[in-house]
Amino acid sequence: MTNPLSLRNFYFRNKRKVLPVVGILALAILGVVVTDSLLASARETAYATFGSYQKLILVAPRATRDQDLANPLQDSLARLHDVQLQVDALDGPGGITSYYNAVIALPAQARAQLPAVQRLEIDAANARYYAARLRGDLVPLGDLIVRVQRLQTEEQAFNQLVSQLMQHPNDPRPLITYLQQHQTWLQSVLPDSAQLGRLQLAVGSASADANGLQQSLQALNRDTASLNRAGQNLADLPVPPSPTATIDQFRSALDQLTASLGSIEQPQPGLDKLLADSARIPGTALVKRDAYSNLDINLLAGNAQFDLYGIDQPGMTQLLTLYGDRVVAGRLPRQNASEIAVSEEIARSRHVAVGGQLGNNLDELDRLPDAFTVVGIIRGPTRLGIIPLDYMTQHYLFERRYQGLIVIPQSGHEQAVHEQLQRLVGNQAFRLFDWPYIKAKIDSLIANLDSINRFLILLVTLVLSLVVGLLNNLFFRQRMNEFGLLAAVGYSRWGLIRRVALESFGVTLAAWLVGVGVAVAVLSWFNAVFMIPHGLLMNVFDWNVLALHTLPIPLMVFLFGMGTVGWQLLRLDPISIIERRD
Amino acid sequence: MLSAQDLALDYRSGGSVAHAVDTVSLAVERGSFVGLIGPSGSGKSSLMYLLSGLKRPNRGAVSFEDRDYASLSGAGLMRLRRHRFGFVFQQHFLVNYLSAVENVMVGAVKRNHDTAAYAQELLRRVGLGDKLQKRPYQLSIGERQRVAVARALVHRPAVVFADEPTASLDQATGHEVVNLLADYRRTGGGSLLVVTHDPAMLTGADRVLQMRDGRIAA
Repeated sequence: MTNPLSLRNFYFRNKRKVLPVVGILALAILGVVVTDSLLASARETAYATFGSYQKLILVAPRATRDQDLANPLQDSLARLHDVQLQVDALDGPGGITSYYNAVIALPAQARAQLPAVQRLEIDAANARYYAARLRGDLVPLGDLIVRVQRLQTEEQAFNQLVSQLMQHPNDPRPLITYLQQHQTWLQSVLPDSAQLGRLQLAVGSASADANGLQQSLQALNRDTASLNRAGQNLADLPVPPSPTATIDQFRSALDQLTASLGSIEQPQPGLDKLLADSARIPGTALVKRDAYSNLDINLLAGNAQFDLYGIDQPGMTQLLTLYGDRVVAGRLPRQNASEIAVSEEIARSRHVAVGGQLGNNLDELDRLPDAFTVVGIIRGPTRLGIIPLDYMTQHYLFERRYQGLIVIPQSGHEQAVHEQLQRLVGNQAFRLFDWPYIKAKIDSLIANLDSINRFLILLVTLVLSLVVGLLNNLFFRQRMNEFGLLAAVGYSRWGLIRRVALESFGVTLAAWLVGVGVAVAVLSWFNAVFMIPHGLLMNVFDWNVLALHTLPIPLMVFLFGMGTVGWQLLRLDPISIIERRD
Repeated sequence: MLSAQDLALDYRSGGSVAHAVDTVSLAVERGSFVGLIGPSGSGKSSLMYLLSGLKRPNRGAVSFEDRDYASLSGAGLMRLRRHRFGFVFQQHFLVNYLSAVENVMVGAVKRNHDTAAYAQELLRRVGLGDKLQKRPYQLSIGERQRVAVARALVHRPAVVFADEPTASLDQATGHEVVNLLADYRRTGGGSLLVVTHDPAMLTGADRVLQMRDGRIAA
């Protein structure tokens, strides 16, 4: 005959009391495993997404579009306003039009006899023409400058939004506010390179017209002086408007702006030298020009920009070989074609296959301009995205300007090459991105989520310990008669404590096993239907999560429950129970 | 076999001291049936707690088979209660999730087939042969108390202490329960100490001790 007080009897004959406790604990463990696994997945996916940095160093220009554009634009806009007032005054009452009307009102005889007066008439007509043109130029020029400035502001606002979301990933308010404020404008704005091209044209036109106006005004004044010197003073000849210093300054500002915009079309100075010098660093395996760009992808912990390498054809093959990747569908991009090859996880994440398209035309958060056709799917340990260097630099202004390098150190020389490169680039035109930097960024992003998660686990553990501990105590109080009797008839106190401990241990162990089992089932399902199709990584059997992260709950619950029940058992007075008359 | 010498148990409450047991000496011989009777608060239950080792006295000595309780540790007293004594209380204190026979086995020291057979035999003897597998909530109050009696006897104790075992029963059932205990005394040779306030329950007792104000009056 088995022990009637066996654990088996206890569990199977108290199912209605044991199962709810097992259920509550199992649910909590399920929750912890799911949140922990998603967090681990976010970290692993981020590592995998930026895994290419483990074998290369990206040398990127430090200058940004903001820095290149901001000052000339602001300066030009300020001057534009002054010039508008000047040109309005020139063309207004008593201005060029009045002067022109006065000149053509001179007696026909006088005009016919005097070539100087005819010259004056031509110059006045020119001045009027250029003033009208410049007035016409100034309106769209101002609008374009404002639009380009708006683009910069938008980029700053977006960066600020990203920063806020990184700091408070669970607070959607900044995102909602941003979208509400910027939605309409985002939909209407043209690609920034097109805006810049228009601005360049408008600047050129305004500069030429301002030049023409200024020359006409100078000619008018020379004509008048010449007439006066010749003693052919016509009593009713009006005084011509003076050439203005403001227009000169404006021309100068426009010239500066033209130069700035022109320089944007060129690669960063020093790139060729840096390429040559980098190749000479001992321990460097490969150096390639890189017109890098980005695709927006979901990393579970938020969206991120996946790096695309814009390199030449031999470089594409070398990059695949370096990472042990291969093209499993389609081919690599052709020379000078708007084509892209990406890893299968990225393709899945963006829901594209060979023949599909990626780029800013389809997703405005992509830095990759226009729409590139996916021509190849890459498979291998490292996620890659490859685009042709020549197409990027010959078709897009900014991509030409913001070219960088990829430097691939030989194995074991990463640190040395990094240090040499850092010495080469100094602290000015370029900066380096390598795996330690990228990993630190990812860890910093995940660290916030990790802290929240740890806090939640702690909270759940504490609350559960209290709740289950309370349930245990209630259950124990219902069994006081049983323990009172056993103590009275000679069962040892420690024996009773051991028995209750085994009962609690069994319940928490069962809850842990059920919770972990259900969690593995749920994660497997979620992995199959969501994570894999979206190119996200998840380790369903992450024992670090399954075992270590979930154990505090049953452990705390057990210790708390046993602590209180054990204390009561130690202080149990069987006589007080025997004498109870309830 | 079981003897007490000048036993005293005091309860202190604030500044005052109540003498629950006041200088009591007695001896319970092997196989005897001793009844302790007295009004509520006379100290009969307290005396039983002292004799069974559930409480330690303030003064005096108790010994069982020539072993002084004072020489036994708490664990030693527990072993004594577990192995040599049997207990029946006013309430049955059956474990709700166990069957009648399993509840009897709670009192067993060795759990083997012989003990299990004896447990069933005891239940048959107390008239519950057809209710071995019934749970306490499926039994009447009298039946539950009979299961409690069987539990007290299953390990063949040398002394059975019964503290108001009939208080919650009607008179007929009460007699039945006391007779069961008396039968054990007769057939098993164990001693029986029954605490009650009902003299009718002690008709078969060898000795009836009247308690009043913590002392044995007669």
